[in-house]
Amino acid sequence: MELLIRHKSIVTFISCTLFCIISLSVQGSGFTLTFEGIISGIFSPFQKGYNAVQGGTSRFWAGFSELDRVKADLALTRQKLETYEALDEEMTEIRNENLRLRNLLEMKERVRYKSIPGFVISKDPDNWFRTLIINRGERDGLTVNMPVVAYQGDTKAIIGKIVEVRGSLSRIQPVISPDIKIGVKLGESKFPGLLTGYSHNSNLCKVDYITRAAQVKFGDVIITSGQAGVFPPGLVIGTVVKTELPESSPYQKIIVKPVIDYNLIDEVFIIKKNPDKDLFDLFEEMQ
Amino acid sequence: MIYTYLITAAVVLVSMLIQGHTSFDVIRIAGVKPDLLFVITVYMGYSFGSFNGEITGFASGLLHDSISNSPLGLMALPKLAIGFIVGMFGRSVLKSNVASILILIFAASIVKGIITLFLCYIFHQGMISAVIHVILPEAFYNAILSPMLFFIFDKIYQGELQREGYL
Repeated sequence: MELLIRHKSIVTFISCTLFCIISLSVQGSGFTLTFEGIISGIFSPFQKGYNAVQGGTSRFWAGFSELDRVKADLALTRQKLETYEALDEEMTEIRNENLRLRNLLEMKERVRYKSIPGFVISKDPDNWFRTLIINRGERDGLTVNMPVVAYQGDTKAIIGKIVEVRGSLSRIQPVISPDIKIGVKLGESKFPGLLTGYSHNSNLCKVDYITRAAQVKFGDVIITSGQAGVFPPGLVIGTVVKTELPESSPYQKIIVKPVIDYNLIDEVFIIKKNPDKDLFDLFEEMQ
Repeated sequence: MIYTYLITAAVVLVSMLIQGHTSFDVIRIAGVKPDLLFVITVYMGYSFGSFNGEITGFASGLLHDSISNSPLGLMALPKLAIGFIVGMFGRSVLKSNVASILILIFAASIVKGIITLFLCYIFHQGMISAVIHVILPEAFYNAILSPMLFFIFDKIYQGELQREGYL
């Protein structure tokens, strides 16, 4: 016993190292998830508390400083509303025509999913992982693999999917994370590919497995293909900024800039869509 | 010593909030944030020996892992190892001046990065590009901030350091 106390530093080092190695080896097990859950549960009130104080202060300050901007915004919004009211009539006609054509083609009507809003309260504190934590969780009916979108201006785009759900918090894996894999296609030519994050600290994505025959232009839109069953098809992710044609590969690689800037993500919408089980299992198996 | 632990816990919590909260994204340079918890770990090892260094590293690393998407132990193990190694040398060997602190933090950050990358390869998903995109920029950033942070920590732990005979 005396020996252990005399060499407590080495004993502690060996014990803690063993703990880490065992924990890493059994990652995803009930034990590690519970342990992480407990520590995360202890820390989350601090995150939420800070978020509330910071949010309250900025809103209070905004009341004084942003009055002029709000007035200008109001004028602009009224102007936009007039335009949209005029457009509404036209939209109804187009919708009816679309419905008629769909009926003629016997196509299924697109399923519309419900979505709930959420706020980003924290980001991954280290530089190795790129995740976001939002103030919605299991209590709001969220489950793992639900897609998450956000708006930049009037544009709606995918920002990632939910990878972890706790009581009132969830973790989002963004499209710029090297750990994510999304089935995508080129907006115009419809050539399919697989999108993932470009690197650990980049705000770009890359699309692999695009056939060399595909004509890809700067600015082409990349949309979800819906193949893995997680994301609904046709949602915008980003635009092409660069293409690479490695000589040794039968495919070309595309660098994509997401529509939503990772650094500016604040408010998000979680689409309440559970993955299509068969498609998802097949995709996971292929991975 | 209880006082030291309480202060360290408070410093770790504040650093964690700074690193994790979106309002502190402005501190991100070249896509990386400084690892404040790591600087605290090195400081604890440097000033109060291996035991305090490794305990701070392990506890802050576990907290880091719980908040982050990393598997439990991935951030804790490198911090634990660095806290232990730096504590073996400490203030008695490494002089307390700006150049030594810069070199110490830079070298320790590189070693931590390499251990993390190695663990990522074994237990998660490693990318060699992380050396250029994460390890080096983070090491520079940690090193640049370290003299100022060490100065602040010296003030916070003034009483303890006087008791240890370093001031």
